[in-house]
Amino acid sequence: MATIIIPFPFRKHTENQREISLTGETLDNVLDGLLKQYSGLQVIHDQPGLLSIFVNGKSVAGGADNWADVAIADSDEISLIIPIAGG
Amino acid sequence: MSLFSNTDRILLPAEKWEAIVTHCKRKLAGEFLPGESRVKRAYGILAGVQEGRELHVRRVLPVKKNARNNEPLKTYMDTMMTEHAVASTTPLSQRGWITDPRELMECYDLCDREDLQIFGTYHMHIVPWEGDAVRDTPTLLDTVLAKESNLYSFIISIVDIEHPFMRAFYEGVNDKETPLVIQENS
Repeated sequence: MATIIIPFPFRKHTENQREISLTGETLDNVLDGLLKQYSGLQVIHDQPGLLSIFVNGKSVAGGADNWADVAIADSDEISLIIPIAGG
Repeated sequence: MSLFSNTDRILLPAEKWEAIVTHCKRKLAGEFLPGESRVKRAYGILAGVQEGRELHVRRVLPVKKNARNNEPLKTYMDTMMTEHAVASTTPLSQRGWITDPRELMECYDLCDREDLQIFGTYHMHIVPWEGDAVRDTPTLLDTVLAKESNLYSFIISIVDIEHPFMRAFYEGVNDKETPLVIQENS
């Protein structure tokens, strides 16, 4: 199963879990599974374009349209990052 | 429930406060580190441990890169500025800070390795405004940007550069202030 790293500010939506293990052949599948399991994480889609995804530390380019084309292996580590902003 | 509900106070060791002030003053003086955004503003992250009803700051993590002018973040920030920023002497295009996603990921990883929680971000207010001489509270823009962040906004008033001070507001909301106590070195 792939491991999804939940950034600290969003752990209130995952019962304070840092890592979630999920199966899925593509990034799209894995994220769908994540959001079905933890519906509070839908907030990652509140600001389209802000979500960055890294697979094994490598940035996934191209946005959500490309997620179905990103193959995910069992050993992969997926990080979800929403930048923090201030005035 | 928020991550930091029921927090009575935030404890900041004096040497950590000095590190924050040094960061602010260095940036204001136009002294930049390699790889650092060359802007006279400081932005950083405070992390630490929660003990009962207290937050203890253990780490000051100055953020190097401002991704303010990198798309698609630029479009987002431009919109936020246009809709919520109060006009100031600094042009809107030069205001605001948004973290570089990779730098933020590395920061999160470091905090996870050290078993620290991210408490929030700090930034400084430099210019006095009419009717607000010290600028020690979040602006409307600060509040909007911190909405639903589950983090504190630490506002540093450095209008008087010799006497900076900091206040902590949960999610940048004025009436959600938590007392901040600077602990002198023992």
